Amino acid sequence: MKGLREQFADTMLDIGRQNEDLVVMVGDISHGILQPFAQSCPGRYFNIGICEPTMVSIAAGMAKQGLIPVTHTIAPFLIERSFEQIKLDFGYQGFAGNFVSVGGAFDYAQLGCSHHCYTDVSLMSHIPNSQVFCPGSASEFDELFRSEYNNGKINYFKLTENPHGVEFDKPILAGKIIQVSEGSDITIIVLGPQLKNAIEANAELEKKHGICVDLLYVHSVKPFDSAKVISSIEKTRCAVVVEELSAHDGIYNLVIRSWNSRDRAEIRQLAINDFVHEYGNYSNLCDVSGLTASNIIKVVIETMRHAKR
Amino acid sequence: MLNKDLRKRIVEIVTKAKEGHIPSSFSIVDIIDHLYGQVLRYDKANPNWPERDIFVLSKGHGCAGLYVVLEKYNLLTAAQLENYSQPGGILGGHPDRTKVPFIEASTGSLGHGFPFSVGIAIANKIKKKKSLVISLLGDGECHEGTIWEAAHVAANRCLDNLVAIIDWNLSGAQLCPIDDLPAKWASFGWQVHVFDGHKQESIVEAFSHIEHATQPVALIAKNTKGYGVNLLEGHGRWHHRIPNQQEFEQIMEALEL
Repeated sequence: MKGLREQFADTMLDIGRQNEDLVVMVGDISHGILQPFAQSCPGRYFNIGICEPTMVSIAAGMAKQGLIPVTHTIAPFLIERSFEQIKLDFGYQGFAGNFVSVGGAFDYAQLGCSHHCYTDVSLMSHIPNSQVFCPGSASEFDELFRSEYNNGKINYFKLTENPHGVEFDKPILAGKIIQVSEGSDITIIVLGPQLKNAIEANAELEKKHGICVDLLYVHSVKPFDSAKVISSIEKTRCAVVVEELSAHDGIYNLVIRSWNSRDRAEIRQLAINDFVHEYGNYSNLCDVSGLTASNIIKVVIETMRHAKR
Repeated sequence: MLNKDLRKRIVEIVTKAKEGHIPSSFSIVDIIDHLYGQVLRYDKANPNWPERDIFVLSKGHGCAGLYVVLEKYNLLTAAQLENYSQPGGILGGHPDRTKVPFIEASTGSLGHGFPFSVGIAIANKIKKKKSLVISLLGDGECHEGTIWEAAHVAANRCLDNLVAIIDWNLSGAQLCPIDDLPAKWASFGWQVHVFDGHKQESIVEAFSHIEHATQPVALIAKNTKGYGVNLLEGHGRWHHRIPNQQEFEQIMEALEL
């Protein structure tokens, strides 16, 4: 299966050949796989150095002159370290551009906390005129980027190194949730790569517990498909949100705000609650954070039990 | 002394609005006047003329010095300046490009306008534009890491279409002195010229180096914060202080001399 980062390089190459305003800047990440772009689009590729905030400001200057900048490096450096530059130089000044990160929450698991990232989605959502996407497969990234990269907005694409492995036969549209399975017992709302765990949990919930899950897959955090969330929870009256984001501000908040002021519903969250100082691979750190199929099953059963009281 | 009238106008609008950085504006107003009078190419009828030169005030808190120059060259109106920092006005305590024609960058937080200028200069190279990019930053702003990141990138990319003017009024020296500022810029690969930013002939000589540049040019202005009024000169309480009526009259009187 093609990785999202490889797809990023291929998508840049294809669009770069068609649109001579596309400029790609990286902070020494994906430099090798972007060489076809560099060679096909001379003068429009920059491995700018290890200076992420400056890379962002430079991108804003390029946007001012009518170019379409794409900045790319590891998520915490591109977004968290550079946030004021994004906020002011793009947001406040009203320029458009594209931010494509690698290293979702735990993709650099063995490198420790400095390389983990789970507040980026929240940060980028705060900026007016921003859009935030968490594609979980190469094709999702490709479709979202092609439709959104030149839309006059600030687009953030958070790429995962651990794709969920599902190919949808439906179009991937910004701001639209994908219904993976239909059920009336409980809603599971899952973001990006965690779809893999949710699908595993869904199968076991049905097989072993007879629970029919309304499984909603989210790749688009902003804009967010509130209507789909509301219609599902109106049916099930209980939901579990699964996301590799900070528990303090993720799509759980969007779900709660979507459901706001409606009838009682039991809505719980599986997310990242604290810094994770453990080492291991992506899967190991998801285990530490409770982002596993078995924990989804446990929380689903608890949520349904509580909802019936 | 150059530009007594521009200095008076700075004091007028800041005192009326009860907001502004008078000494910082006095420090750079002579250079900005020279830029709009002699250096920058722009179209008064079209702020967005694609071939214009771009001026970025990276040390945005000196914006009163920019506003009064834009008024002088009929790029802003007197009425707009009268509404400086007032509800409904377009001119604030830092410049906002989304509101003000001829303001090229919204600045305020230091360390933004200069790397932004580097991006404009790179874009002009990509688009094969001949336009010049001039960025004015403070010596205190040179404490910011993004200044040196951007300086490094600019030299590495041979941006001979980029000029940094550094307002070396020793503001930064109160905190963490950079005594060898010219040597530092030179060591980053910039063509450096030190000049007196309050003397016409020195300013003209400094900008004469731009034309045949083969690398980015740093024009380091040995300026005086609050230049022209003893009361305001130097550092300390006047950085962001608003004159009371007595002080206002005292400053205006000093500018008559």
